[in-house]
Amino acid sequence: MFLIECPWCGERAETEFSYGGEGGITRPAEPDKLSDAEWANYLFMRTNPRGAHQELWNHAQGCRRWFGVERDTVTYHISRSYVLGDGVKD
Amino acid sequence: MTEWHEKRHGLEQRIADWTSRTGFTISVRDDLGHLNLRGDLGSPGFLAAAEETIGQPLPQAPNTISDGDSTIFWLGPDEWLILTPAEKAANLADQLESSLSNQHAATNNVSGGQIALTLTGERVREVLAKGCALDFHPQVFTEGRCAQSGLARANVTIGSIGGDNKFLVIVRRSFADYLLAWLDGVA
Ligand SMILES: [Zn+2]
Repeated sequence: MFLIECPWCGERAETEFSYGGEGGITRPAEPDKLSDAEWANYLFMRTNPRGAHQELWNHAQGCRRWFGVERDTVTYHISRSYVLGDGVKD
Repeated sequence: MTEWHEKRHGLEQRIADWTSRTGFTISVRDDLGHLNLRGDLGSPGFLAAAEETIGQPLPQAPNTISDGDSTIFWLGPDEWLILTPAEKAANLADQLESSLSNQHAATNNVSGGQIALTLTGERVREVLAKGCALDFHPQVFTEGRCAQSGLARANVTIGSIGGDNKFLVIVRRSFADYLLAWLDGVA
């Protein structure tokens, strides 16, 4: 059983969670001033790294809160879970 | 509403049959009203006003229960479920609404949408563990703890309260019959 640590509830089964895509992406403050390419880059382009990956997860079947996770895409090892706003990027 | 509900689901008959076969007891807690409370613990005055209105502490540690005249479940860092005698629920909702009117808070009476079941019996932990990934060991899921999770794929809130082998399971009304059918098969 793959366990994911919710910052509030602790370790729970993966089946309680849903994945919310790459984390640490900041919405541009002034979208009007972006070129189409820059806007498309914000909307669609993701890093898809081999190794440490910042992710958003939702504890869907538990406390239903969003939080951040740093997961290794090769080993699935989760190095940390954190409350959003407490350091999405180091 | 109670009569309508019983007729619709035939819950009472199913429970009676089940209890006599398994030595398990399960009761539909139609005596409880359900209120969902949202509010910001960081907002000055919220906690004091809420606790004074309800008359007991809001549990602040994740996945714990405060038991008193009402039973309050921690659902999230800004969300609680208050189980209170059904006849008092509407009144308490109104009182919370007014005492928290200057707060960024919300009180919702969700009694119509969900139902609480009390499960008791020697093997209650075994039965729950059959359909849920939580650890039900008596030293882990101790009295006063609660959790939201999946039981046989239905979303539930489970709390250990009132004794070692006694649990409250809160489920959507529309899932109650399914959940009892599942418990029937397992127990
Ligand atoms: Zn959680």
